[in-house]
Amino acid sequence: MFKTGRSAALLAALAAGSLVLAACGGDGDGDGGGSGGKELRLWHYETPDSAMGQAWAEAIKEFEAAHPGVKVKFEEKGFEQIQKTAPMVLNSKDAPDVMEYNKGNATAGLLSKQGLLQDLTPEATKRGWDKLVKPSVQVTAKYDAKGTMGGDRWFGVPNYAEYLQVYYNKDLFEKHGVKIPTTFAELTAAMDAFVAKGVTPMTNAGAEYMAHQFVYQLALDRANRPWVDAFQRYTTKADLKDAAWTYGATTFADWVKKGYVAKNSVSLKAEDAGVAFMQGKFPMMFSGSWWFGRVAKQAKFQWETSTWPGAKMTLGSGGNLWVVPKGSKNKQLAYDFIDITMKKKAQDALANAGGVPVAADPAAVTEPKTKKLIADFDAMAGSDGLAYYPDWPVAGFYDVWVSQVQKLMNGTAPGEVLGNVQKAYDSGLPK
Amino acid sequence: MTATMTKAKAPKASARDRRGAPRAARRRGPSAYAVLVALIALAGIMLIPFLVVVANALKTPEEYAANGPLAPPEGFNLDGVRDFWERVDFGHVLLNSVLISGSVAVLAVLLSVLNAYALGIGRIRGRMWVLVLLLMANTLPQEALVYPLYYLSKQLGLYDTRLSVIIVFTVVQSAFGTYLLSSVMSAFPRPLLEAARIDGANRWQVLWRVVVPVVRPTLSVLLVFFFVWTWNEFLIPLVFLISNENQTVSVALGVLQGQRLMDATMSSAAALLGLLPTVLFFLVFQRTLSRGLTAGAIK
Repeated sequence: MFKTGRSAALLAALAAGSLVLAACGGDGDGDGGGSGGKELRLWHYETPDSAMGQAWAEAIKEFEAAHPGVKVKFEEKGFEQIQKTAPMVLNSKDAPDVMEYNKGNATAGLLSKQGLLQDLTPEATKRGWDKLVKPSVQVTAKYDAKGTMGGDRWFGVPNYAEYLQVYYNKDLFEKHGVKIPTTFAELTAAMDAFVAKGVTPMTNAGAEYMAHQFVYQLALDRANRPWVDAFQRYTTKADLKDAAWTYGATTFADWVKKGYVAKNSVSLKAEDAGVAFMQGKFPMMFSGSWWFGRVAKQAKFQWETSTWPGAKMTLGSGGNLWVVPKGSKNKQLAYDFIDITMKKKAQDALANAGGVPVAADPAAVTEPKTKKLIADFDAMAGSDGLAYYPDWPVAGFYDVWVSQVQKLMNGTAPGEVLGNVQKAYDSGLPK
Repeated sequence: MTATMTKAKAPKASARDRRGAPRAARRRGPSAYAVLVALIALAGIMLIPFLVVVANALKTPEEYAANGPLAPPEGFNLDGVRDFWERVDFGHVLLNSVLISGSVAVLAVLLSVLNAYALGIGRIRGRMWVLVLLLMANTLPQEALVYPLYYLSKQLGLYDTRLSVIIVFTVVQSAFGTYLLSSVMSAFPRPLLEAARIDGANRWQVLWRVVVPVVRPTLSVLLVFFFVWTWNEFLIPLVFLISNENQTVSVALGVLQGQRLMDATMSSAAALLGLLPTVLFFLVFQRTLSRGLTAGAIK
């Protein structure tokens, strides 16, 4: 009963530990404050081996070389952590000086409305960012007083872009004697040919973004810019049961029936779908430029990319934004850093690492596949063809899209599915 | 309770011990072997996810992309583990987690004992309602607590310190601890207390000399549970420990979840690293745990 000696010692040790810790906590609190323009605190959530991660690591070195005596204190964050905590972090004195943040009404737009972000308009004109970034890419960087994108004030600066494209496994196309399509009719013909040979042509993931991006792309094939503005920027009332949406939903349901996409992909994650494509199980993948670097590194077959066959508009936008929190203590340094990432050197580094830069010099890119990636984007952005993503307009829309398109794949009527989506859209619209 | 437990344990323990050996041998029939085989199969099934994690942790990303998640690794590749360790400064993160979980475990047990002494043995008025309140607080989802706690800690200048998380979890865990210990202590043998009183012990001495030694097995189980629970907490550390130098293991694992892509091999490596300390902890304290949550009372 009295063998308490050992555990008492353990208790004492742990208690002492907690006291030391408390002291540490106090210290950490103290040195958060006075950095006196000698430190730039930078947060982003791109992995070190991604195109952005590589280009920005270069930019940090360049910044430190240009600002002797200033140290960049970079912290790599998780996407989820930033998503969940950004409003709280930015509202405290521990906010970083410059950070990466998601573009869109429900994210950067919301923070700008809450007054947590620095208005970058004067810097954008002074440093010429407004000339470097194409107007259609600028949309996601500028917000109005209500926090809706496409406004008049810059609250962030995109330094890369992203868009959707079709990835073709050239080996499989050759093996089955199918031609890589350039028009929508050829795409359907190619998919028929693959189905006839018992190959499912498109990889798909019903439990994540891939499936509803098909629906949106198909709808875009029958849409125009005012239609996109109505849906994404609320310029006029959007009707989700109009001809374009109905065509998109009906066609995709049809594709599932015809076996263009596998019916059992309804519960797959995007990661599964992408890995299946890279394993060479599917001839085509319709997904974002964020896969480009990974396919380049990991696919063991011949491949190429192009925009959706015959599309005038496709899914895409400027990438995530550099934002400067209102509470940043080193705003000038933050602007300088953003400026460096927009300069030719960082942009070229981004391009050569497989990213899509916003202000690229195609001549500086050597790798042919990357050249095509950037040329395709420039063509799309130049002709005002970026239509953003279907889940952007209202908060919580992503989950609605996923579940409704899963229903569509399982045989629910397109009209009913679009009706449910419309309901969620209408109830989520900003008042 | 203790009696039934010892009885239930006896046949298993006696297989290799002196007293019960002949009796156990007589009892072991074909059905016992069938149960053994079934249990081994079950344990094997439970281990499958763990094996998949280990297999993927040892693959290169190229292998993963070419062969998929279920294929066995071709070689022994520890790059994922090493890269992750360096990327998040895992040693430091581990230290944070140990400090936070350790302090919470000790402080929460201490707080629970003091609370439960008042509620279970002191039998203060309205103890029912205090317990109901604590239980209700326990069922509150943490998402609901995050914002109020955020404002409080910001006012107190504790935001982004490990101390804030320790305080929060000490309170959260001790709510459960108080509830459990109160019911254990309300069944505490009164004669023991009275004997102590007659010997002239005051309340403080009764607590530390009589009550705590008797309920010590329960306390050590609580300690282990609090440690493991706090170790696995995600949301509150995520919100409160924003700078990387204060991060805990579970938050550091979140760094790998990208916006649209995930690095499956490195995630597996990280999961393995995050898991090992808890497994180790379980192995060390396994005996304490198997004693059961409600063990105690007079022997």
